[in-house]
Amino acid sequence: MRKNKSMIFWFCLPAVLSLLIMFVYPVCRTVLMSFFQVESVTSGVGEWRFNGLANYIKIFGSQTFRISMKNMLLIWLVGGVITLALAMLMAVVITSGIRGKKFFRAAIYMPNIISAVALATMWIQYIFNYDYGLLNSVVRLLGGDKVKWLGSDMKFWAMTAAFIFGSVGYYMLIYISGIEGIPQDLYEAATIDGAGQIKKFTRITMPLLTGVIRTSITFWSINTTSFFLWTKMFSPIDTEEYTIVPVVYLYDIVFGGKGVATRDAGAGAAVGVVLTLIIIAVYLIVNRLIKKSDLEY
Amino acid sequence: MKVKKLFSLLLVSALSLSLMTGCGNKDSGASSDAGQTGDDAGQTSDDAGQTGDDAGQDDNSVPAGTEAEQTGDNAGQAAGNQYEGVELTMWSMWTSEEAQALVIKEAAAAFEEQTGAKINIEWKGREINNILTAALEAGEKFDIFEDDYRRIAQNYNKFTYDLTDMAKAIDYDSYSYPCLNNQVIEWAGNLNSIVEQPQVGGVFYDKDAFTAAGVTEEPGTWAEFMDACQKIKDSGVGPLALDSAYSDFTFYQHLVHQLGEEKLTELAANGGWSDSNAVKAAQAVIDLVNAGYLVDGAPDEFPSSQNKVGFGQAAMVVCANYVTAEVNKATGTEVNWGLFNYPAVDEGTDNAAAYAGANSLAITSYSENAQAAFDFITLLTTGEFDQKMADTAAQIPADSRNTAPASLSGTVETLLAADKPASWCSAINADENLKTSFKSIFNELYEGKYASGEDFCKALDNLY
Repeated sequence: MRKNKSMIFWFCLPAVLSLLIMFVYPVCRTVLMSFFQVESVTSGVGEWRFNGLANYIKIFGSQTFRISMKNMLLIWLVGGVITLALAMLMAVVITSGIRGKKFFRAAIYMPNIISAVALATMWIQYIFNYDYGLLNSVVRLLGGDKVKWLGSDMKFWAMTAAFIFGSVGYYMLIYISGIEGIPQDLYEAATIDGAGQIKKFTRITMPLLTGVIRTSITFWSINTTSFFLWTKMFSPIDTEEYTIVPVVYLYDIVFGGKGVATRDAGAGAAVGVVLTLIIIAVYLIVNRLIKKSDLEY
Repeated sequence: MKVKKLFSLLLVSALSLSLMTGCGNKDSGASSDAGQTGDDAGQTSDDAGQTGDDAGQDDNSVPAGTEAEQTGDNAGQAAGNQYEGVELTMWSMWTSEEAQALVIKEAAAAFEEQTGAKINIEWKGREINNILTAALEAGEKFDIFEDDYRRIAQNYNKFTYDLTDMAKAIDYDSYSYPCLNNQVIEWAGNLNSIVEQPQVGGVFYDKDAFTAAGVTEEPGTWAEFMDACQKIKDSGVGPLALDSAYSDFTFYQHLVHQLGEEKLTELAANGGWSDSNAVKAAQAVIDLVNAGYLVDGAPDEFPSSQNKVGFGQAAMVVCANYVTAEVNKATGTEVNWGLFNYPAVDEGTDNAAAYAGANSLAITSYSENAQAAFDFITLLTTGEFDQKMADTAAQIPADSRNTAPASLSGTVETLLAADKPASWCSAINADENLKTSFKSIFNELYEGKYASGEDFCKALDNLY
């Protein structure tokens, strides 16, 4: 028995050490760094100068940071509602016994296996293209004037729409696996009792999926706070106000953008801490609002 | 039990081995592919003996000022073993198959052949700036690195070798661009980088489109520019292409001419746009937009609008010189490019200003083989290899005695004539809190969202 315990210790040691060195240490260092004036991420601690809450005051006083937070919130809220609703709708339709279930499931999930860079390029250079883009071809076919889908008024929503397209399949799969875990007996009994599709969805599917919905909201929140690549693709040369999100703001102040030589790793750390706190807050709120189902099946 | 233990041990060993293999850098230590590029290297080895007087002028031999020469060795005898046993590591900002990378590999092979040194090149790509600070602070073992010259001067200065004396020894000033060198010295306090890829900004135009429209001379003033735009428009071509990604750069040129970069920096920091000549600058652009001188769809999404020059739908684009290679490559055409400085504006403060910048090479302050590293840099940025770099990568030669490719004709002269380069929007980029707002408002100016220069400046002043 003792032998086994030491075995467990030695086998766990590499994983624990990796966790401590590669996760716990950077987290602690980042939190600490957020209270210091630090120019470079890798500056030695000896070069740090205590800054109190100045980094937090700086970022919350920054118009660019506030805009980035607003953009992130909109992606989270509007994008989240649309993505999760579409994913749920498609999951319900696909699990309802339609023909070609496997095809539709694969087709809707497809954007997730395509590189996000390729996907974003397709949206930017083809679908939204002003001269020969898919959307403007449709608009012209209907007799309308060409629209600047990537103009300053529309760029944010164009980016969000493209992101939603790339995300729906992932959440749909999560919902499908949740729905398929619900015993068919319940649906059969409901059918015998005369329940229609909508009633079955609201009285059986939704209540039994609360755990899955809660998880998907947490996943969506994490995806939104780490939103980076789509912004970089929709503003390729330098960061733009219409597409900026906090992680890109963080990136710019830590590494310096185009033509910018100043860097502020302390403020960047503060942004990181704020984002982490937001995810924790969302997780706690979602757990409080969406109670774990006490139904057993 | 024993078998189980042995099996576990084997599994752990295999896992550890695969981890180590996975973490290894396939490029590190994979020297410059000397073997693959050995053909040219073989041709150059004999030249090493000629390095004495005319080094770096028009051959690809190791330049003057080398240790061999300083120690009085016979350079001819030293050929092939001058740096025997010396190992240099270079961090490159290119990826291994890019045109620039191929020339660097070739130069490294030649250098190895001539001197006996070994050069390891690690291809870090464009994001090299994200890892350089950490690597330099950690004292990572590399001798040469490439990046934007401004970052080298301002961010990495304390980790770079002062190249002043070495540059003097080879008379670097005689063939390089004074405006870029002076700028580096102003920022860093010394010459800490050698230009590899100079850049110059301005109005790049399709000469054939100008000829077809009857525009016989490059516009020098704003009035001439507007006149040329009208003629081009009348010929059925969009005068000016503009992608939203470059809206800030384009208007920045106008503002620098109108106000000067110093005044611009002051306005960007403190506001007061409405009381300045920025109103006049904005009004000029509004007039340009209202006259329909932007190509259809502009400001468009990069690179859609600039590509219209390649498709013959637009005649001009305001950008840095790399736009010519980008457009040619993206559209599969060979535009007959020309360049003129952004036009002089009425009541302009600094009408001669032009953007210039560079990607440069630097040596780490802790390099144990700084002279060898410098000699390699010199070989790469002068003579034949620099010409090759200019031709294959379609860039301005770092050695002003070389010839710019046809698509960049006039750029060497422009750079040599420049006094002090204007920056890449540094005045409006200085404040992280405002830079994205500036960019948006500048872009909206080209979208025609402001009725007058006053409205535009009011929007800027509202940011403070």
